[in-house]
Amino acid sequence: MEVIYPKPWVLFWLFVICGHLYLDYSLYLRWKGWSRGETTGFSIRRLKAPVLKIWLCEVFVQRQLFSLSVIRWLIHQCIFWGFLCLTLLSLSKFILLLLSMISLDAGLHAYFSNGTGYPFIKVWGDFFGLILLAGCVGALSRRFVFRPVQTAHDQTDTFLSAYLLLMTLSGFMLEGLRIASSPSDPDLYAFIGRLFMPSWFGIASDTGILLAWLWIVHAFSGAAILIYLPHSKLLHSLLAPLVIALNASEEQERKDMYWPKTKQYRPTK
Amino acid sequence: MAKDKAVPTDKIAAGLTWRQLVEIEACARCGECLVWCPAYAQDPRESICSRGKLGYLKRIVKSGLGGEEHKEFLEGLYECSACGQCHIVCPLRINTHELWEQARAALVKAGIPQPEALIKHLAAIREFNNSYGKPQTERGLWAGKAWQAGLLKEPVRLWKEHPAPVLYFAGCTASFDSAMQAVAVQSARLLQEAGTDFSILGPDEPCCASKLRRMGDPGFADEARKRVDLFREQGIRTIVVSCAGCFKGLHSDYADILPGTIEVLHLTEYLDRLIREGRLNLRGRVPMQVTYHDPCHLGRHNQIYLEPRRILSAIQGLSLIEMRRHGPFSSCCGMGGGLKLAKPDIQKKMSAARICQAEETGAEAIVTPCQTCLMGLTMGTEAISSGLKVYHINEMLVRSICPEAGREHIEKAFADAEGR
Repeated sequence: MEVIYPKPWVLFWLFVICGHLYLDYSLYLRWKGWSRGETTGFSIRRLKAPVLKIWLCEVFVQRQLFSLSVIRWLIHQCIFWGFLCLTLLSLSKFILLLLSMISLDAGLHAYFSNGTGYPFIKVWGDFFGLILLAGCVGALSRRFVFRPVQTAHDQTDTFLSAYLLLMTLSGFMLEGLRIASSPSDPDLYAFIGRLFMPSWFGIASDTGILLAWLWIVHAFSGAAILIYLPHSKLLHSLLAPLVIALNASEEQERKDMYWPKTKQYRPTK
Repeated sequence: MAKDKAVPTDKIAAGLTWRQLVEIEACARCGECLVWCPAYAQDPRESICSRGKLGYLKRIVKSGLGGEEHKEFLEGLYECSACGQCHIVCPLRINTHELWEQARAALVKAGIPQPEALIKHLAAIREFNNSYGKPQTERGLWAGKAWQAGLLKEPVRLWKEHPAPVLYFAGCTASFDSAMQAVAVQSARLLQEAGTDFSILGPDEPCCASKLRRMGDPGFADEARKRVDLFREQGIRTIVVSCAGCFKGLHSDYADILPGTIEVLHLTEYLDRLIREGRLNLRGRVPMQVTYHDPCHLGRHNQIYLEPRRILSAIQGLSLIEMRRHGPFSSCCGMGGGLKLAKPDIQKKMSAARICQAEETGAEAIVTPCQTCLMGLTMGTEAISSGLKVYHINEMLVRSICPEAGREHIEKAFADAEGR
C-alpha cells in the first residue's frame, strides 16, 4: 500500500542516535548545574491527592492558562496535544517496528502499517497534525498580529513556532505528494493530507526524488528537535511538569496551596 | 558583551536551592508576571518583572553577566516588593518571592552586597534589635502610656511577670512609630474586651528579623534560631501578631527553619475566632462603606483572605466593597521587600495606584490589618491628595466595641502625655 521511494534510513538513524546522545549530554550538564544548589529533601510521599490534582490540571488541562486567557490556552493546548500525540505516534510506530523484527509485536506492526489498522494511523496523524498546525498558526498570529503586551521579542521563540509550522507543513506536503503519486483506498482517511495533493503532479518528471527530499526535510527536522530542545523554549515541556509537582508539593507542606479564580480579576495594565 | 569574570557564578548557584535552579530554566517567558506586576506598572522595564530577572539569573549562574546587564539585574532584583503576585499568576507556580529573597542572600554570600540604604537598615536591626534604631527600653512604653491615659481596661502585663497562655507580639512599627502605636493599644484593648489572658515581652520583645530575610541578609537563619530559642526558654506556646510582616516572619520563615515549634496566629485569625466563639461582642453600629486591602504577607503568602473579611462583615452597619483587584490579586502597596528603602519613588507610586483602585469603589475608607500597609497606604493618599481615609482593621472593631479607644483618642492622649 505504501509508496516506495528512497529514504536514507542509515543516515537518519545515525542522526537520531547522535541527537539523542546530544540531548542526554545537555540534560546531564544541566543536572550538574542544578546540583550546585542546596538540596531540599523531596519525598515521593509528598505527592498527595491535592498535589496530584493540581499537577494533572496544570500539566494536561493547563487550568491556570485557561483562566488567564482562553485564546492563549487554546493555542497552547493545540501545540501541546498536537506535538505530544504526533510524538507518541512516531514512538509507537518505532517500537512496533522493533518488536516486529524480533516477532514480538503480535502482528500489530503489519496491522497498522498496511492492514486494516492503517486508516487509524492516517486519521490520528492528520487530526493531530491539524491541531498542531492550528496551534503554530495561532502562536505566530498572536506574536505578529495581535501582539499582546507581554510577548517576548526573543527571536528563538519566533523560530520555534516557525520550525514547528515547517515540520507540520512538510509532513502534510509529503503525504499529499505520496497520495497523488499512488492513490489507494486508505488515503481517504488522510483528510488533511489529501488537501495538499499537488495539482501539478502530472507534470513532475521524477516524483521519487521529490518525495525523498520532502521525507528528508520532514524526518530530519523532526529528529533535530532532540538537538534543539535543550536550547529552546521547548525545554519547558520537560521542566514544567517537574517544577509544578515540586512547587505544589511544597505548597502542600507549607499549607499555602492556592487555586485562584483568575478570571474574576483584571491585571494592572 | 564581555562576561564579568569576577562574578562568582558557582557561589551564587550554591546559594540557591536545586528546585530554584530548575525553575530558572523552566520559565517559558510567557510574560504573565509582567502584566500583573505592580512595580512594572510604575516602571515598565523588563529587568523588573520576574521574566526579566529569571532570564538574567539564568545567565548569571551559567556564566555571569556583562557590566551593564549585571547592574540592571541588581536594580531589578531590589526594585521589587516581593509581593508574590507573579507567583500566583505563573502557570508553573514558580515561587518567585522566595526566589528573589534567596537570590539576594546568595548574591550577598558571593560578595555582591545589597544597595547602601538596605545595608544601613539591616545594620540598625542588628545593632538595636529593632528597625527604628531606638533603645529596646522604649519598646513596651505604649502599654504603660495607654493604661495611664485610660485607654485600656487593665494594665498590660509583662511576660516575665505573668507568663500567660497568649503572647501579644506588637512588632517594631506598632511599638516605636508614634503614628502606629494606636495599633498596639487597640490590639491589647480588643484582647482585653474578649477576656483573653495575654501578656507582652515589652523591652525583651525582639525584632522578628524577617526584614533580614526579605532583604537577603544571609544571617537570617541564625537570628531566627536565637528568637525561637528565646520563645522556647520563656515557655511561649501561642503568639498573636498584629503585623503582617512579623506574622510572615514568625509563622512562615521561622517554620521553614524550625518547623512546628510554636503556634503563631495573625491578630485577624485570633479575633475572628473570638468573634465566632461569642467572646467579642460587637455591640455598636459602624455605618460606613469600606474597602479592604489584603496585605501580601497575609494573603498571597499565607492564604489568609477570609478571616479579616468575616470580621468586617460581623460589624453592624459596616459594608464592604471589594476593589477590582482583591484577594490573591490584591495590588501591593510597595512597602515590602525593602522596596521602600531601595526605590522610595516607586513605592510611593505603587501605594498611590492602590489608593486610586480603592477610590474607584466609592468607599469612604480603606481598611487593612497590617500596620506597614497602613503606613504605605497613608503615604499613597498623601501622594495624590486623596480624601480617602486609611484605617487599621482594629479601628473598625474598636468603634463597635469601645469607641473611647479610637485612633484619634489614642493619638491625642499620647501627644498630651509627651507634651506635644
